[in-house]
Amino acid sequence: MTETRDDFTIKPSVPNASLESILCTEELQCRPSRPPDYKKENRALVTLMSALADSPNTIFQTLAQTIQDITQCDSAGLSLLTRDGKTPHVDGMRFYWPAICGMWNPHVGGGTPRNFGPCGDVLDRNRTLLFRHFERRYPYLLPVIPAAEECLLVPFYVAGKAVGTIWAIMHSDRRKFDAEDDRVMASLGKFASSAYQALVHIEDLKIEVAEREKAESEVRQLASGLETKIRRLVEANVVGIVMFTLDGAITDANDAFLQMLQYGRDDLASGRMRWADLTPAECRGRDDRAIAELKATGVFQPFEKEYLRNDGSRVPVLLGGTLFEASGNEGVAFILDLSEQKRAEKALRRSEAFLAEGQRLGQIGSYSWRVATGEITWSEQLYRIYGFEIGVPVTLELIRTRVHPDDVTLYEKMVEQVRTDRKDFEWQYRLIMPDHSIKYLQAVARAARDSDGQIEYIAAIQDVTARRLSEEARDKARSELAHVARMMSLGTLAASIAHEINQPLAGIVTNASTCQRMLAAAPPNIDGALDTSRRTIRDANRASEVIIRLRALFNRKDTVTELVDLNEATREVIALSLSALQRNEVIVRAELADDLPPVMGDRIQLQQVILNLLRNAADAMSTVDDGPKVLLVRTERDEGDQVSLSVKDSGIGFTPEVADKIFEWFYTTKTDGMGIGLTVSRSVIEAHHGRLWATQNDGPGATFSFAIPCGRQGSAESETRANQAAATGAA
Amino acid sequence: MPGSSQWREEQCEGRIDVRNTIWHCSSSDSRKDSSRDTRRLLSAVVVDDDESVRESLPDLLREFGFAAQAFSSAQDFLSSGCVDQTSCLILDVAMPGMSGLELQRELKRLGREIPIIFITGRKDETIRTQALKQGAAGFLLKPFSDAALLASIKTALQAS
Repeated sequence: MTETRDDFTIKPSVPNASLESILCTEELQCRPSRPPDYKKENRALVTLMSALADSPNTIFQTLAQTIQDITQCDSAGLSLLTRDGKTPHVDGMRFYWPAICGMWNPHVGGGTPRNFGPCGDVLDRNRTLLFRHFERRYPYLLPVIPAAEECLLVPFYVAGKAVGTIWAIMHSDRRKFDAEDDRVMASLGKFASSAYQALVHIEDLKIEVAEREKAESEVRQLASGLETKIRRLVEANVVGIVMFTLDGAITDANDAFLQMLQYGRDDLASGRMRWADLTPAECRGRDDRAIAELKATGVFQPFEKEYLRNDGSRVPVLLGGTLFEASGNEGVAFILDLSEQKRAEKALRRSEAFLAEGQRLGQIGSYSWRVATGEITWSEQLYRIYGFEIGVPVTLELIRTRVHPDDVTLYEKMVEQVRTDRKDFEWQYRLIMPDHSIKYLQAVARAARDSDGQIEYIAAIQDVTARRLSEEARDKARSELAHVARMMSLGTLAASIAHEINQPLAGIVTNASTCQRMLAAAPPNIDGALDTSRRTIRDANRASEVIIRLRALFNRKDTVTELVDLNEATREVIALSLSALQRNEVIVRAELADDLPPVMGDRIQLQQVILNLLRNAADAMSTVDDGPKVLLVRTERDEGDQVSLSVKDSGIGFTPEVADKIFEWFYTTKTDGMGIGLTVSRSVIEAHHGRLWATQNDGPGATFSFAIPCGRQGSAESETRANQAAATGAA
Repeated sequence: MPGSSQWREEQCEGRIDVRNTIWHCSSSDSRKDSSRDTRRLLSAVVVDDDESVRESLPDLLREFGFAAQAFSSAQDFLSSGCVDQTSCLILDVAMPGMSGLELQRELKRLGREIPIIFITGRKDETIRTQALKQGAAGFLLKPFSDAALLASIKTALQAS
């Protein structure tokens, strides 16, 4: 035993006294014994019984007090073996002191080791032991004061096993323990043991009852909640619920089920409703499998079937159920009406079919592209447009294999830009198909976010090949028509001019003929000849006046001289020509200088020159089929305050032999050209104080350039010369 | 034929022979015929809105030996009173008011079958075809040679 409950941290010292030297148990029989005081003993037992009845938790404390009272010792207490410090256990490794009275009362809650102490010695020998100054063997008891002169310990049994001791201590020699003390303590110990066991049983019962009550409460709560839920489920009429038996009867059903099948409560009560009769013949096989599954497992997995309504129509349902008991005959089934779902599915299929047909008719495919994952999903029509087998996994690389070689660079830039910008985009491109045919596609894509918040493009791609070819045919026809119209217009103009000229010419010829005849007559008619010659001169002058009038007519063109931003003028021309250039598969690149100063001139005339150069370049590349048709338009500021514009093509170019003829009137290498465009252009540029020239490229093609002064230099003269050039070009 | 109006076969590609034919003369076209043979000449009339043609062509016709006069419009000609005496009509196609084709139809309607030679400064096959279909004897595009004119007149007179 020790002074405090911290004793278990103290290592036992080497015993300096043997066990036998501190035992004096045998003296109990030799000492004069006091006579038994049964009255006192009975009172003690009554006290213990009262404590057991009134306050069971204090039974140990009452026992200690009773021992002290009967033995007249200085301290008395109880030691119990425990594993957890409180509950008695035969395999405990320490003794716990639940109750002490007398002088050692302050040490309640302390204890001693199982294998090295007086209590352990008692349990080892399973008998009463009397110690004298046990601190001589167990030094950890030395500090415990007051010291124990004698200590009488008797075993304490629970369920027949010694799990502790009852002890009494004399701290002085005023009295010695005797055999009567041994008997009384053993007797009280047995009573206390029985009382403790009863108490433990009572406590166990209490715990068991409490746990059972708690469990029952939980079950009642669960059942109540479940019942509420089931009742709500049944009453909600969202799902049809039926009670059935395996022999085909429906014993009960909710309103949802009855309404679903157009039956009433009377039908149900009469027993006319049998699930087997409500099932179409072709569904009974599936029902049989469900019944077999029910019998085997107690449940059947949900499956779709149809029921017959009261009017003979059918209702599609999803059916699932279970038996109330695994081997029972009665069960419950849940029926979900799938009519709306089926209608929706049908509508969806119809809508999908419409969409597919619409896409097929409109030559429109659609796709989605999740940029982050690279996942691309195509509609079937898009597979058809691209000429890929439907279902083939689509990748950007696969798409690239179909893109026209001239559009691949554009395609790659577009993909990169879309990945970066994540904005809507539209573009036109071409495909080159395995049979070398070309398809023209127009794509419109919208950026959206998918359910994960990632960018997803939804796009529609239309095969506009037919339209494109039609447009080209139309443009060609229009061009031919325009040409015819122009020729007709020229013919009309020529006829007008001819009429105006032919009138005086007729007079001239007739007068001259008359004059000849008059002079050849004998005698010559001199006066008549003079008269006719005078009229001849008059008519010739008249013809000249007609020419002058015509020239004046064609001179009537207003010219506006102003500051012109050549870059802007060039962009406008490119924008106007882009469609035609793209139609001719020409790729236009513009490298326009940022700091280009304005020029003084006629904007329209300069744009006509640029347009003429672009058209010439495109025409020069029309027969190129072994490489890209690239047209480069570049503006820059030259030295000497000149602004230049060049148009570089990769076309057929020109030979040195014709270099000098290019700018001559009516010289042309085109089958349908008039040979006036470059001549007029040169006149316009020269009127702007500039020059127009052509050079052969190092590679294929040619470059036509012009340079004109920038700023307001020579603006007035420029205007005059521009007028003249325009008049010359028009005439 | 005497004097300046004598026909010169060597200058005539049309080989028309008018020398022995007696013709009456239009009363309104006597400027240069007053001193000539009393026999009346074939009368050729020019109708054209162009002044130079009205001045030059009658002179040439007179050199051919015709009695010639000119009118500036179809209405003037119809109202001149010399329609019945006209042997050959040199008629412009396009004129203000009544056109040459309209005059042709009007004469036909009046029962005046005068040989007509159309002259025009504008080449128009449609009008030419229509004129010939309506009975024109010739269709000449200005300017035309004197030989071409004479050949047309010859053809016209022979046909009539």
